Amino acid sequence: MTNSRLVSHLLAATIGAVAFACSVPASDARFDEQTPDSGSFPPVAAMLVQACGTLDCHGTVGRNLRLYGDTGLRYSATDVPSTLVPTTPDEVAQDYESVVGLEPEITSEVVASGGANPERLTLYRKALGLESHKGGAVVVHGDPRDVCITTWLQGHADASACTAALTLP
Amino acid sequence: MLVGLTAASAVGSCDPVRDDAVSALGGEAPGVKPGPLHRPGQPCLLCHDGATGDPAALSIAGTVYAGGNTLAPAVGATVTLQSADGTRTTATTNAAGNFYLTPDTYAPKYPVHVISIVQGGASVTMHSHIGGNGSCAGCHTDPPGPASPGHVYFSNSGVSP
Repeated sequence: MTNSRLVSHLLAATIGAVAFACSVPASDARFDEQTPDSGSFPPVAAMLVQACGTLDCHGTVGRNLRLYGDTGLRYSATDVPSTLVPTTPDEVAQDYESVVGLEPEITSEVVASGGANPERLTLYRKALGLESHKGGAVVVHGDPRDVCITTWLQGHADASACTAALTLP
Repeated sequence: MLVGLTAASAVGSCDPVRDDAVSALGGEAPGVKPGPLHRPGQPCLLCHDGATGDPAALSIAGTVYAGGNTLAPAVGATVTLQSADGTRTTATTNAAGNFYLTPDTYAPKYPVHVISIVQGGASVTMHSHIGGNGSCAGCHTDPPGPASPGHVYFSNSGVSP
């Protein structure tokens, strides 16, 4: 192979690779995200704040799963933790965004399948201690925390389970 | 011995984040030597983490103050803690308001609940649990704000942040 041919082949290969790397989805392609129910999320948020949202855990700005709430990190610059000021709607909204924003595609798949196989979610695996988690296993299969989070992923959170979860240590 | 000192030095200097945090604490207060009365209100386990053996490791430690608007220590207060496994232990604050527990006497299983802090018949409790940081001042820093309830203190409501 002559040098000029080799250069031509290399050039063609490079152009092909660049074209492949720069390919983009069709302009009309859309990802239809199916998010968990926001209406029944407040008791789920309360459970998460109590179980996970202390200031030395997920009540910290540096966390991917950042939780705001009455006994942890506050969303308003004028609010202070543990001052008997209840968790605000803004904080619940932020908590919702934190949870659904962790793995939006997988969360969407779990919701679309009616909450089947929630172990697909890192959030759930860490909570069960199935994946490395500094806080250890904070949820046990079938306990109120588990029922709270899984029923929410199924479509509507069991508020009584979420409330019962608040009594767990 | 030289090898040991070198190894200890290396361990103590291999975490720049920790080193910066320790430096930010500043020096000892004038007239107070390193010991049980030093550095009230600072995150004890930042240095007392057992990384090098000196200073000695602590498992949970902190400072209790007499009120929210004062840095006067709450002396002789009894702090009762409960581990996730239900075991309880107590510690008493000293003249600086400091209390501390060592891993050989108390190796907590988190989350840990502050059941009560009692002094002179008054008792306060804590709203939330301790998730994993054994330094009270890891969260309880001054001034109070969105990310901190402020220092640990007694209040008339019976509830301390």
